[in-house]
Amino acid sequence: MTEAPALETHGLSKSFGPLRALDELDLTLPAGAVLGFLGPNGAGKTTAIRIVTTILEPDSGSFTVAGIPHTRPVAIRQRVGVLPESAGYPDRQTGEEFLRYFARLFGHSRESAKAVAGTLLAEMGLAERGGTEIKGYSRGMRQRLGIARALVNEPAVVFLDEPTLGLDPGGQRQVLELIKRSAETRGATVVLSTHLLAEVEEVCTRVVILNRGRVVADGTVAEIVRRAAAPRHARIQVAPEKTGTALDVLQRTRGIEAAANGKPGEVDLILSAGDAEAGATQALRALLEADIAVLGLVLEGGRLSDAFLTMTEER
Amino acid sequence: MTTMALAPPRRGWLIVAGQELRDLWLGGRGLALTLAYTLLLSATTYLVATNSVLNFLEQRESVNLTLQVAVAVGALLVLLTAADALSGERERGSLESLLLAPVERHDLLLGKGIAALSLWLAAFVVSMPYVWFLGRGVGLVGVALVGGFVVGGLLALFLAGLGLLVSSLAGSNRVSLSVSLFLLLAFFAPTQLPAGAQQGWAGDLFIRVDPFSAGLHYLGKVVVDGHGAGQDASWLISPAVAAVVAVLAALGASRFLSLRGGGPS
Repeated sequence: MTEAPALETHGLSKSFGPLRALDELDLTLPAGAVLGFLGPNGAGKTTAIRIVTTILEPDSGSFTVAGIPHTRPVAIRQRVGVLPESAGYPDRQTGEEFLRYFARLFGHSRESAKAVAGTLLAEMGLAERGGTEIKGYSRGMRQRLGIARALVNEPAVVFLDEPTLGLDPGGQRQVLELIKRSAETRGATVVLSTHLLAEVEEVCTRVVILNRGRVVADGTVAEIVRRAAAPRHARIQVAPEKTGTALDVLQRTRGIEAAANGKPGEVDLILSAGDAEAGATQALRALLEADIAVLGLVLEGGRLSDAFLTMTEER
Repeated sequence: MTTMALAPPRRGWLIVAGQELRDLWLGGRGLALTLAYTLLLSATTYLVATNSVLNFLEQRESVNLTLQVAVAVGALLVLLTAADALSGERERGSLESLLLAPVERHDLLLGKGIAALSLWLAAFVVSMPYVWFLGRGVGLVGVALVGGFVVGGLLALFLAGLGLLVSSLAGSNRVSLSVSLFLLLAFFAPTQLPAGAQQGWAGDLFIRVDPFSAGLHYLGKVVVDGHGAGQDASWLISPAVAAVVAVLAALGASRFLSLRGGGPS
């Protein structure tokens, strides 16, 4: 039997006064994926998440979550887990009490709520602090508690809206590893809204880029980079004493958007969008014609950050 | 997919009420408010019982005055708690998590309303020994307590509904508390009208329509004038109607409960 898509939207639109936050959003996400949900500020990511988690009502359009139509909001809420952007927590409750309360709200019995709270606290590395009040938690601990709360109902789809916001690099890494592990062990679909593109490349099996309320790209990272025709980076190694000459030559070569000094004996290149391999060949040919020996050439893969900028910059 | 579906809770309001009661009473806010109320009631009772200027009051009038303080302050505590219930969550950023639970919106309101009403119950229990002390010896304690419980209960229900209604629609906690207090003063003001303004059919109608005036008037009839509980029951129509309308309006407005406040979003 074919599994229902984790999320399917048709012509979803939402305006706040004159601002059109979502514009006829059509999206289909297969189950079991870790999806990077990207877009510049104001692209409509949070609005889309709030609509499909039934917090906001769309002006028009329809959607299903785990096969449940939008006309059954309580059933949808039962099957999704959400870490809202900038979620607040009750300072006077302990982490364990907070999780138990939400487990009960999602239908766990008193006993199973306690067990689930204990398991999730341990999974998130909060077991030792579960009995202390949330007001004593650091930002990273609160985010991990929020992720635990999003998992109390064994959700089919988990929405994490900026889960690494305000965390230091160590905290970001820790949260992303938790997300990856949780997705693997639970088999849930994870929708990760974030600005950390490098981490998205590492964690996500699929990426959707939103701009001005519309999907502008949808696919794997490699597909999106290819489709975006984003510029690619290359590094050419020459003898250290030839670096200046090589830089002069490369700055005049067609097919190269920019050339700059790297380390001694290295020139960093940005190759024109479209055909990076041809640009690299031009660079090699120009250096050989200038009688400069090329000691090495590294052509980097396409970067999601470049594709992101290409697809979301003001047109 | 390895996920397992749970069923939404059948009595979500009970779970919400349980947690809200724990937060209110174990968190200390309920105890602090009740302590402040106890101090106020102690001071009032002491003055009524001993002060040479105030103790010209008849024993029945002393009991009535104490009951009026208990009803008014108890209802105020309920209103403050209800007015903070949703706008406070909204301001602290915790409302979204609550709205994401598979619980009907009216269950959330109901649970929070029950917690707010617990303050009235606590205030009433605290006032019982004071009423007993002032009313002992004239066979007044029982009727005063029953009358106070009925009138205070209706007014507390009315203000719980009103507070929750304002709180679910207000964009900020400050707006919710300000509007709720303004409405409380507007409803309470007619009780302070001079006796002359309460004469005639217009004055009578005015007092009967205002739930506070009507409720406290009923208490006066029962406690001070010694009327039977059913003799002046018509004075309870206004508080009863106000309680039902406010609670239904709050439950109805729960459909529009949103992250930003101000109605549907």
